[in-house]
Amino acid sequence: MSTGDDTGVEREFDMLMAKAGANVPADRKAGVVAGYKDMKAMAKLLRQPRTATDEPSNTYDLTSFLRSRS
Amino acid sequence: MTAAKPLHELSIAEAGRQLRAGTLTSVTLTQHALSRIAALDPLLHAFVLITKERALADADRADRELKSGIDKGPMHGIPYALKDIYATAGIRTTCHSKLLIDNVPSEDCVVETRFKAGGAVLLGKLATHEFAIGGPSLDLPFPPARNPWNLDHFTGGSSSGSGAAVAAGLVRTAMGSDTGGSIRGPAFYCGTVGIKPTYGLVSRRGVFPLSYALDHCGPLTWTVEDAALTMQVIAGYDALDPASAAVPIPDFAAALGPDLAGLKLAYPRSFFATQDGISAEVVASLDAAVQQLTRLGATVNEVVLPDIDLFNACGRIILAAEAYAIHEKDLLARPLDYARYTYQRIMVGATISAADLTQAFRLRRELSTLVNAKVLGTHDAIITANGLTPAPRFDEFPADAPLKMMLHTMPFNVTGNPTLAIPTGFSRGGLPLGMQIVGRAFDEPTVFRIGAAYEAAAGWIHKRPSLELPVAV
Repeated sequence: MSTGDDTGVEREFDMLMAKAGANVPADRKAGVVAGYKDMKAMAKLLRQPRTATDEPSNTYDLTSFLRSRS
Repeated sequence: MTAAKPLHELSIAEAGRQLRAGTLTSVTLTQHALSRIAALDPLLHAFVLITKERALADADRADRELKSGIDKGPMHGIPYALKDIYATAGIRTTCHSKLLIDNVPSEDCVVETRFKAGGAVLLGKLATHEFAIGGPSLDLPFPPARNPWNLDHFTGGSSSGSGAAVAAGLVRTAMGSDTGGSIRGPAFYCGTVGIKPTYGLVSRRGVFPLSYALDHCGPLTWTVEDAALTMQVIAGYDALDPASAAVPIPDFAAALGPDLAGLKLAYPRSFFATQDGISAEVVASLDAAVQQLTRLGATVNEVVLPDIDLFNACGRIILAAEAYAIHEKDLLARPLDYARYTYQRIMVGATISAADLTQAFRLRRELSTLVNAKVLGTHDAIITANGLTPAPRFDEFPADAPLKMMLHTMPFNVTGNPTLAIPTGFSRGGLPLGMQIVGRAFDEPTVFRIGAAYEAAAGWIHKRPSLELPVAV
């Protein structure tokens, strides 16, 4: 997610919708843009000092894996 | 001599004892529930489908089985209901959406197969926020459920019908789902118990997904014991649910008792008490509940948790990204078939980058480690707030989807810990208040023990909604 200033947010949003292939209904757009601004603020919070080894857990149950292949 | 309880106030255990003693039949219990639904649901809109014929057939079968000595466990002959995102073979399952209005699944979800195997009686399918995320919405095929404590007020969501139906005594146990608080929110607003089990303990297979990483299935009930007994029927490993945990299933009700001697509880008061907009009544209710837990024998220590904004950012980024991935095709092709709130909440997921999602999953691990190793490494459970204000009025909701929900529930979807919602009293306006009891992973018995001891001592369980309030226009 890019971090443009507030004045560029709607243009940035339009670009992302175009990339997604979405034609957002005009009367619903304000609510989605407001949500986008909220997501931008939250995405900033995610970026804190963290080590490269700090990775998500990706543990799977072997039985599930084997059965799903059968 | 005390008067006999009305049938709808019998707990699962009480009804079960009478069924086995031959002083009550499942058909009588079921007919009573169906009559109550017929009388009250036109006000509450908790059900989107009532399966009357199926219910009576299930009940008749249960009576014959119990009479012949076949006992399928604690829910045998007991009515239940399912949020309408749980697939039921041959029974319409709509997710409260125009998109699935004619959807009749060919297979049951795993939870339904477990209820069937346990001899329980399906009363019907319950209202939800569309796809477990929109709402409260008026632009859907069915109206939103209403709060039995005051019909002008919100039930919480997305398990809206489940909360309303249990609070109104239409059913003892109703399945909900919880991705960011959708069991615990309705439990708080409607004054019921609700358990979000440990991630992976109850199969999600056949339940319409909202976020693979955060979805949990669990029941809303009137009592803690009923939650434990329902869990006994529905919990268990499912090799075909990729998140299912292969762990032993405990006796969930085994530790229920009157005291909490020896337990050490963490109370992160600053985690919620300093939040903008929190009701002073909520804080006072939590403080009083903690004092009650201390009187029951627990040791309570104040602790500090990371800022709630971190948990919310982590959970909401994951939820939005995964929900968008699930709904992408229909959002692009049929945007106006979604309700306004649903569309606005899910569509924002299209703006999330791969880096955002990866950072969220990295933070998730960090937060989970902190809660589990540091706080629950030295305490048996955490006591914290659930809703931050009593249920808002329906007419307070804006035209566009609100960004902030006044709940403190997302942290434990992020960490996956078992979390029990339980009432802690009432606001001056007569609306329920409550708390969350958060346990170690797969330690539901301790969470139920704390909840049941508090419930018995506090006595809120004896106050039920009067259902005499007028319906708002």
